[in-house]
Amino acid sequence: MEGLQFPGRDSHSPGWYGLLIIGAALAHGVVRIFSRTTLLHAGRRIEYRIREDLYAKLLSLDLPFFAAGRTGDLISRFSNDLTNVRMLLGFGFLNVVNTIIVYVAAVIFMVRINPFLTLCAVLPYPLMILLVKQVSRRIFYHSKRAQEELAALTSHAEESIAASVTVRAYRREEPRIQAFRELAGRYLYSSMKMANLRGIVIPFMASMGGLGTLIVLFVGGGRVISGVMTLGDFVAFTGYLAMLIWPTVVLGWILNLLQRGAVSMGRLNAVLDASPVVAEDPTPAPVERIAGRIEFRGLSFGYNGEPLLKDISLCIRPGMKLGIVGPVGSGKTTLVRLITRLYPVADGMIFIDGTDINRLPLRALRDAIGFVPQESFLFSRTLGENIAYGREGASTGEVEQAARLARLEGDVAGFSKGYGTLVGERGVTLSGGQKQRSAIARALLKDPAVLILDDPLSAVDARTEEEILGGLASYYGNRTVLIVSHRLSALRGCDLIVVLEEGRIVEQGTHAELLALGGRYAAIHREQNLREEIERF
Amino acid sequence: MHFGGIYEDEIVGKAYDKRLLGRFVRYLRPYRRLVVLSLLLLPLIAAAKLAQPWLLKLAIDNHIVSGRMEGLPFLSLSYFALIIGDGLLTYLEIYLLQYLGQRVMFDLRVDLFSHIHRLSASFFDRTPTGGLVTRVTSDVEVLGEMFTAGIISIVGDVLVLAGIVGIMLWMNLKLSLVTFTVLPLLLYIVFTFRTRMRTSFREVRARLSNLNSFLAESIGGMAVVQLFNRQAAEQREFTRLNAAYRDANLPVITWDAALFAAVEALSSVAVGLIVWYGGGEIIRGTLTFGALVAFIQYIEKFFAPIRDLSAKYSIMQGAMAALERIFGLLDVEKDSDLPGFRSLAGIESPLMGGGRGEGEPSPIQTIEFRDVWFAYNGDDYVLKAFNLTIRRGEKLALVGETGGGKTTVTRLLSRFYEVSKGSILIDGRDIREIPLDELRGRIGVVLQEPFLFTGSIRYNISLGDEAAGQRVERAAEMVGADRFIRNLPNGFDEEVRERGSNLSVGERQLISFARAVAFDPEILVLDEATSSVDTASERLIQEGLTGLLAGRTSLVVAHRLSTVRDADRIVVIHKGEKAEEGSHEELMARQGLYYRLYQLQFRD
Repeated sequence: MEGLQFPGRDSHSPGWYGLLIIGAALAHGVVRIFSRTTLLHAGRRIEYRIREDLYAKLLSLDLPFFAAGRTGDLISRFSNDLTNVRMLLGFGFLNVVNTIIVYVAAVIFMVRINPFLTLCAVLPYPLMILLVKQVSRRIFYHSKRAQEELAALTSHAEESIAASVTVRAYRREEPRIQAFRELAGRYLYSSMKMANLRGIVIPFMASMGGLGTLIVLFVGGGRVISGVMTLGDFVAFTGYLAMLIWPTVVLGWILNLLQRGAVSMGRLNAVLDASPVVAEDPTPAPVERIAGRIEFRGLSFGYNGEPLLKDISLCIRPGMKLGIVGPVGSGKTTLVRLITRLYPVADGMIFIDGTDINRLPLRALRDAIGFVPQESFLFSRTLGENIAYGREGASTGEVEQAARLARLEGDVAGFSKGYGTLVGERGVTLSGGQKQRSAIARALLKDPAVLILDDPLSAVDARTEEEILGGLASYYGNRTVLIVSHRLSALRGCDLIVVLEEGRIVEQGTHAELLALGGRYAAIHREQNLREEIERF
Repeated sequence: MHFGGIYEDEIVGKAYDKRLLGRFVRYLRPYRRLVVLSLLLLPLIAAAKLAQPWLLKLAIDNHIVSGRMEGLPFLSLSYFALIIGDGLLTYLEIYLLQYLGQRVMFDLRVDLFSHIHRLSASFFDRTPTGGLVTRVTSDVEVLGEMFTAGIISIVGDVLVLAGIVGIMLWMNLKLSLVTFTVLPLLLYIVFTFRTRMRTSFREVRARLSNLNSFLAESIGGMAVVQLFNRQAAEQREFTRLNAAYRDANLPVITWDAALFAAVEALSSVAVGLIVWYGGGEIIRGTLTFGALVAFIQYIEKFFAPIRDLSAKYSIMQGAMAALERIFGLLDVEKDSDLPGFRSLAGIESPLMGGGRGEGEPSPIQTIEFRDVWFAYNGDDYVLKAFNLTIRRGEKLALVGETGGGKTTVTRLLSRFYEVSKGSILIDGRDIREIPLDELRGRIGVVLQEPFLFTGSIRYNISLGDEAAGQRVERAAEMVGADRFIRNLPNGFDEEVRERGSNLSVGERQLISFARAVAFDPEILVLDEATSSVDTASERLIQEGLTGLLAGRTSLVVAHRLSTVRDADRIVVIHKGEKAEEGSHEELMARQGLYYRLYQLQFRD
């Protein structure tokens, strides 16, 4: 610029400067591709790692966590929150670095030209920082609320969609839509709060840049006129100042990103920091092979304070067949579920082969137990894969064998794709009975020392039940078997039957003993028999 | 300058984009005044931006170079006013755009959600829940980005670009033309990269969808994963999907970085050209200093919108992909659009007794399944040539082996699924001609797998329905659910967790059963409703049922023959066909399938 103002004073031509600028631009471009690619790739890689960690965390958490944390909320954390964090790490970091470099470089050059003018030019910036601090607190707050409301919205949508059949059956479409509308309205409201803040920040940052230019124009212009400053210096100065405008505006945007990222990181940390109550013992007891001796010693348990099981003591020898009956809510499912340590249980209450289950390695414990839950969860994979889930690396022959034991092979033969049939989400394309038998086959394939059947045949007709139980009798061998059922016929052949009521064992003994006792079991039996008698005629 | 959600989306064809956008614009119609206002603001903002360098040029040429101090304060003041004006207008514009975006998102969301609730049940068999949730949440969210950074601000950018080109040409034709020599190269680069990024985007989208579906299922089946010790295998699969998603993203980043850098470099080249050529002009005296400074500032402003063009482009493409999925879902036929209904839409079925407000509709006399065939997929027929007539006040029981098609009969009757062949007639009228709402209002179904919502037990029985709400306690007593409910710390107000996980399966069934009773339907359909209930509870239910079913038409599916013994008629379904029909005594006398099922259950 000096060269332009006083031609001839400088040996270089404008063309030389032009070429210099172009050369610098190309070099800059190369650096940019490199830095941008590196940082943004890093952002993606970090996102990948966090997602891996999150998923690994989920796999390690126990069921109380999932019962409390809503599915929609977790999914929202994996997608929306993780995106915010990635943006913070990639773009946010890139732009912070970029902004700092540009600021430092520009200010150094400006100070070299004129320290006083530099001071004037950066005068508006403290004001800016003040506003930024004010606004960022509020952005943080509203961002958090908006994220929470979006999560609530997601949960509601997830639940409504999963319940589509129930919603339809009772024609609750309108109320569900109304509730959704309300949630969406609340999200809209907090989003607008955010929008307002964002709307302030960006023009404000741009204005600050303009204000700097204004001060330089007025103060600097006066100095040029009074001859204290050269025109070249003045033009160069405005040029450097112009360089700051864009990063300043971006700064406003980064601010937003930082706040959102921080909120989201907090939400991710809440998952990452969650610790399962059911944890592996640091020094687990050495296990060779679990024989299947189960002992309850004064077991008391409740999901949320209220005791559901009260002072249960029972010893099940290896190879014993135990039947459990009792009214709804008496704690039958809870009792058998606790053996798997899906829920935390206090020390000194449940023992397997004489060792407290809390001391046993989790893996060994669960490997030894085949558990067929009341509600059969199948994955949206093929039927074959679902059965083979029972044991890693199971062969086709083994899968077929397990399916035969669970009396599923007849149904499979009827499917055009056989074991390759896709069962749909949660097994929707199978009937309730088919699902239950698939879950049984899956557990049988595991070849466990302890087999727990939690009312597994509720959706199966009497004949199939008969067939399955008959087939299983040969499979039981010297396995310990626990069967929960309402139908006494299913408990035929049990070595010991316990009757639960309100969380306590009220009766126990063999079928004959309990009948002789003339208590609750006998009453149930009488009733079931009586109906049979009546219906015989 | 919104960079949110940049790399995430798939790209769709251009012609298609137009159609999607056209459809989307319809959502703007209720807010057309705001749209017009935001469009009117754009030229003002552009003018405020474009005038700033021009004032700078005036200040330099007329005052600073010539040393005239007077007038400079006025120019500075004008400059200040422009900055403030620019800031205020931009704020207003951003706020308006966000408001518009949020409103449209709200409308779209509610539309989507309502639409999903009117889709047929079979749709949910093939579509994972996770995917639908994504449509309602993230996909709509992407559209919000489009508003803050997309369509309307692009109009503003175009205005600014056109204005800059105009002013530069007017200020100095030759210098402008020299500067603009970089433009063809710029256009070439932008378009080349566009095509490259298009393919990559598509892959990214598909990979993300896979990842999220897998995750949703994993969370649902966590107990199974842990029980079978399959954490390692699940983690492996997750890692594979996660890595595939990451790797799909990397090329997009590289392309985008290259585009960004190219635009940056070209902008610097343009400044270089101005200095090189403009410098010569100044020396020759054909260009003023102020003009050169203004030129450089204009070029800076010219490249600024192009610089985040790639970001905007990505957002637009993401929005297009989202729109495609959103409209794709909205295009899925609703239940009420199913054939048979459409032709009679708006026509009140006389047999169904007209509208709600006009007193009680005449009671249903007969329900008839006439030669009904049904398959969930392809030719795997679950029901074959099925015939059945239920008369008013009759208690009919369906029995048979598992997988025989009993549940399917109840699903078809409440029209969750459409019959493949044949028809179901109510009082001689095809159910496809009856408004769904009315059909389901009169037929109450207790489902095999009870679904419980988060909310109180009371809510779960009444589902927020006023009439049902008044019958909550009585219904609970009737099915014997009050016993366990009253034992809960908060009784009927006890909170139910997601999917009812804090209740046992039997308790859930009782609540589901109480729900059906509270709704007091004209026809009651029970589908294996009490399979996980103990004998004592079952007896309570039986007693309640006797009263409930008196004079009421009902269809009961059950495995326990004792529960169906006092049915007026029993139908045995075997392999999708009706095998036997008659009263308990008749069927026992026949010594056929029912007899054998019976023997099996009541042996000993």
